[in-house]
Amino acid sequence: MAGYKPVAIQTYPILGEKITQDTLYWNNYKTPVQIKEFGAVSKVDFSPQPPYNYAVTASSRIHIYGRYSQEPIKTFSRFKDTAYCATFRQDGRLLVAGSEDGGVQLFDISGRAPLRQFEGHTKAVHTVDFTADKYHVVSGADDYTVKLWDIPNSKEILTFKEHSDYVRCGCASKLNPDLFITGSYDHTVKMFDARTSESVLSVEHGQPVESVLLFPSGGLLVSAGGRYVKVWDMLKGGQLLVSLKNHHKTVTCLCLSSSGQRLLSGSLDRKVKVYSTTSYKVVHSFDYAASILSLALAHEDETIVVGMTNGILSVKHRKSEAKKESLPRRRRPAYRTFIKGKNYMKQRDDILINRPAKKHLELYDRDLKHFRISKALDRVLDTPEITVSIIKELNRRGVLANALAGRDEKEISHVLNFLIRNLSQPRFAPVLINAAEIIIDIYLPVIGQSPVVDKKFLLLQGLVEKEIDYQRELLETLGMMDMLFATMRRKEGTSVLEHTSDGFPENKKIES
Amino acid sequence: MAAGGGGSCDPLAPAGVPCAFSPHSQAYFALASTDGHLRVWETANNRLHQEYVPSAHLSGTCTCLAWAPARLQAKESPQRKKRKSEAVGMSNQTDLLALGTAVGSILLYSTVKGELHSKLISGGHDNRVNCIQWHQDSGCLYSCSDDKHIVEWNVQTCKVKCKWKGDNSSVSSLCISPDGKMLLSAGRTIKLWVLETKEVYRHFTGHATPVSSLMFTTIRPPNESQPFDGITGLYFLSGAVHDRLLNVWQVRSENKEKSAVMSFTVTDEPVYIDLTLSENKEEPVKLAVVCRDGQVHLFEHILNGYCKKPLTSNCTIQIATPGKGKKSTPKPIPILAAGFCSDKMSLLLVYGSWFQPTIERVALNSREPHMCLVRDISNCWAPKVETAITKVRTPVMNSEAKVLVPGIPGHHAAIKPAPPQTEQVESKRKSGGNEVSIEERLGAMDIDTHKKGKEDLQTNSFPVLLTQGLESNDFEMLNKVLQTRNVNLIKKTVLRMPLHTIIPLLQELTKRLQGHPNSAVLMVQWLKCVLTVHASYLSTLPDLVPQLGTLYQLMESRVKTFQKLSHLHGKLILLITQYFIFFQVTASEKTKGATSPGQKAKLVYEEESSEEESDDEIADKDSEDNWDEDEEESESEKDEDVEEEDEDAEGKDEENGEDRDTASEKELNGDSDLDPENESEEE
Repeated sequence: MAGYKPVAIQTYPILGEKITQDTLYWNNYKTPVQIKEFGAVSKVDFSPQPPYNYAVTASSRIHIYGRYSQEPIKTFSRFKDTAYCATFRQDGRLLVAGSEDGGVQLFDISGRAPLRQFEGHTKAVHTVDFTADKYHVVSGADDYTVKLWDIPNSKEILTFKEHSDYVRCGCASKLNPDLFITGSYDHTVKMFDARTSESVLSVEHGQPVESVLLFPSGGLLVSAGGRYVKVWDMLKGGQLLVSLKNHHKTVTCLCLSSSGQRLLSGSLDRKVKVYSTTSYKVVHSFDYAASILSLALAHEDETIVVGMTNGILSVKHRKSEAKKESLPRRRRPAYRTFIKGKNYMKQRDDILINRPAKKHLELYDRDLKHFRISKALDRVLDTPEITVSIIKELNRRGVLANALAGRDEKEISHVLNFLIRNLSQPRFAPVLINAAEIIIDIYLPVIGQSPVVDKKFLLLQGLVEKEIDYQRELLETLGMMDMLFATMRRKEGTSVLEHTSDGFPENKKIES
Repeated sequence: MAAGGGGSCDPLAPAGVPCAFSPHSQAYFALASTDGHLRVWETANNRLHQEYVPSAHLSGTCTCLAWAPARLQAKESPQRKKRKSEAVGMSNQTDLLALGTAVGSILLYSTVKGELHSKLISGGHDNRVNCIQWHQDSGCLYSCSDDKHIVEWNVQTCKVKCKWKGDNSSVSSLCISPDGKMLLSAGRTIKLWVLETKEVYRHFTGHATPVSSLMFTTIRPPNESQPFDGITGLYFLSGAVHDRLLNVWQVRSENKEKSAVMSFTVTDEPVYIDLTLSENKEEPVKLAVVCRDGQVHLFEHILNGYCKKPLTSNCTIQIATPGKGKKSTPKPIPILAAGFCSDKMSLLLVYGSWFQPTIERVALNSREPHMCLVRDISNCWAPKVETAITKVRTPVMNSEAKVLVPGIPGHHAAIKPAPPQTEQVESKRKSGGNEVSIEERLGAMDIDTHKKGKEDLQTNSFPVLLTQGLESNDFEMLNKVLQTRNVNLIKKTVLRMPLHTIIPLLQELTKRLQGHPNSAVLMVQWLKCVLTVHASYLSTLPDLVPQLGTLYQLMESRVKTFQKLSHLHGKLILLITQYFIFFQVTASEKTKGATSPGQKAKLVYEEESSEEESDDEIADKDSEDNWDEDEEESESEKDEDVEEEDEDAEGKDEENGEDRDTASEKELNGDSDLDPENESEEE
């Protein structure tokens, strides 16, 4: 017996944005928790050690939040003026912060009063960081200087006066205790070595530098300023690798994902962009309510914390994935069951009779097989791709009219709804127009008996009218583009006449 | 009036425009508007008497003006050939008008001649003239300026008589004492000068902002027991910029305190002040203060010594338009100036716009605390100027014309000609409601300016928004811009787009062209605009064809269905126009059960056509046998009454329905019969 051939469902390219691994990854966060701070949140820093608390610098306070706490678990408020850049030490036990009055203060996480106070800057200190050996602090200030401090005897070790404008950002190398970089409003990023008295490297960013970041390896440097994010190769002596311009306002903060595969940048245009560090393309983007000043990612990207100009701290936690595994698994037959007898080797006198494999048919295919064509059509009206394929199949069989005929008010309005929804889609249009004409032919005599159906016909007419207007406009535009292309070809040397004879019949064909 | 005649313009107030009533009879009202024109209006009939444009009206706008006292003008009335001859007739003829300018010169304008009389420049001010005062008797002119000096002029010789430093900062206001021997000047402090010796007689301190107006309120001291030396015991009034208080000071003997004795409070910064002098002890001083918010506040008070609390006004006058219809609220009309008539019982009000003020005499009724006058000033725009009198030509306007009036803050709304309404009702409503507070008004202003700003912003920021949206791929931003329906806006935006964004824009449009025709039509508008505006740029692109290839293919594939679609549309149109109209008519027929002949005739026609088609349908199916009988019956009945036919048709319809049902059922059965055949054929 010849088997029934299932309807071939045509596949169409999926329209719209592609769903990538990145969108899945970065969308997998819960709705943000919003915490109101006292002023613009200028810095968020995660402790590198568990339990991964984070320090939030806003106005004249530093709040320490726990992973899931919405209230600060600790507050440092011993600042006379605005505090800046509270940063944890690698072991998570010390915290250093700059201040508007030029002081640098060192806190113990468990204490309250500052352990050390480094006096020496004459203006606001916007950036501080610990060096890799844990015993020194680097600070950059608005008095154009960069200073290196010794923690044990709280003394200034070195001063660099190479910048010619405010020093607003900096970071220390994680590998080399003597290396650190600073970015300044004089458009330069400089790398300093504590063993020499001068900068060892200087790159020109071209805009006031708002944020700098060193890759964990120390080989790549990322600087942000103006609307640009630039990546520099330090090992090649500061060669510019990539210049990214994806924000439309100043980029204020940079951050690396835990794996080092993704770079995040926050900007005053209220967006966080995620770049791939291999292709340097934007792979994802977050929207926030206000201009973003600071950004931090927790260990393993568990939490994204964003600080904004309006003093709101937005905390997003990753959705836990444990739930899925807890679902009870249905017991399935063992693999053995399926291959039973399959590996039987034919003996000499045996005749092998193959039982035809049972083909699984979709519901609509079963209906079609049993010639319940109307039912088959009704069953699939929610998925246009399948419907169109079935309509095509019915048309091929020559029974489309029969499938559409003999419907009551509810059923016909169902079909009409489908047409109204999908008629304007160019990929379905040729098939559906045909179907619509058949419907009109069939139901011509009964028009006017049901107000519901009449309304649907009116809607359909409106839609078709719009589509025709649209296509007329498109035809005009096509004409314009033909002109443009014609000028192109003339330049290339082909004759104009030839082209017009190419383009003309096409248009005529369409319009006639 | 005499004292208030000239000096009440306030040069420092930004809203105030220098203006003054002519002394004594108030026959004229001089106004130097911001466009540099000096206009003199007749108060009696609200006509433009003269208009004069100083040659340097743009560089040196008029900052203050003052009418010369009448006596003086008679003395030297320049239209007489015997100049400087004594007391020659026409003592009431007002003539000379002194104009101070922003560059420091002072112009003397003769209203009788209608031209410039003379110019006072040499040795005078080298900065903005803030106030001018005529001396009542001596024919001298006093002026003060931003250059810190006060100058005494001899008008006849046009020379400087004396010039002295009046203050450490700019001198903003002047006033001459009633006996003509003292001069008040206001700079940082108020100083009283002895004119003879130019020495400071008294200091008064108390205003935080520059004093904008100074005025003596009494000419006799309140207690006449002491011998009057001409100045001691007199009261004077001062108003300051951005100050809602008017202070009254008393000139006392040396050792007494120097602060203000009392104050009047008004709703906004005073713009114009006029008062009647009290000549004896019992007569109250009447004060009319025009505020920047367009209201007049009237005070009536007997000045006798210290009063701690600021006094509020006895009466407030407002003017409003009659609201059009029920919905629109009446709009306030700003009062520009107010002057007491010589009888002290009525007030001349100048209101409307600076360019075409309306002058009206209003009788004072001090018992009512609030007066609201309803005036339709749109009618006043009809030209009232008699061309014979002046050289001014006014455009003839028809009633349809929409008049846009340059507004002043708080009254920014353009006034449109309103159909005359029943004024009584409106005035009741208006006077019933309380006056709008400043806060509310400010709020309203804010909203309006905001709206305006937004509109402006839209046209300017669309290209910026679009560029930013394209760069950062911001869906919302792009939506906001691309979904505009305004074709002009689209054109302007595309014109201003930077060239490097054109290709990204085209790519974005390509994405959006695939959608529902509703939104896609808008995208085509954009696309067309881009192609027309940037055709030359696009044609220079070497890789244009690959860049726009997808777009072209997309459009081409979409228009492929054009023919079929048009065909379908034709069917639908026919369906809808024919059948729907028909069934609507029949439906209405049925509900009405109407019998009017015209409708019947129509009905018959439609019926026949429908019959034919239904005939065809059923003939094709040729199922029922009794159909033919029906047909015959109907044909035989056609000549008969129409109503019967109607019923008949209904019956047929029902039958048809049944027919179709059965037919379709049959067909369904037939399908199942047919299908295997098809299958077998294919296989």
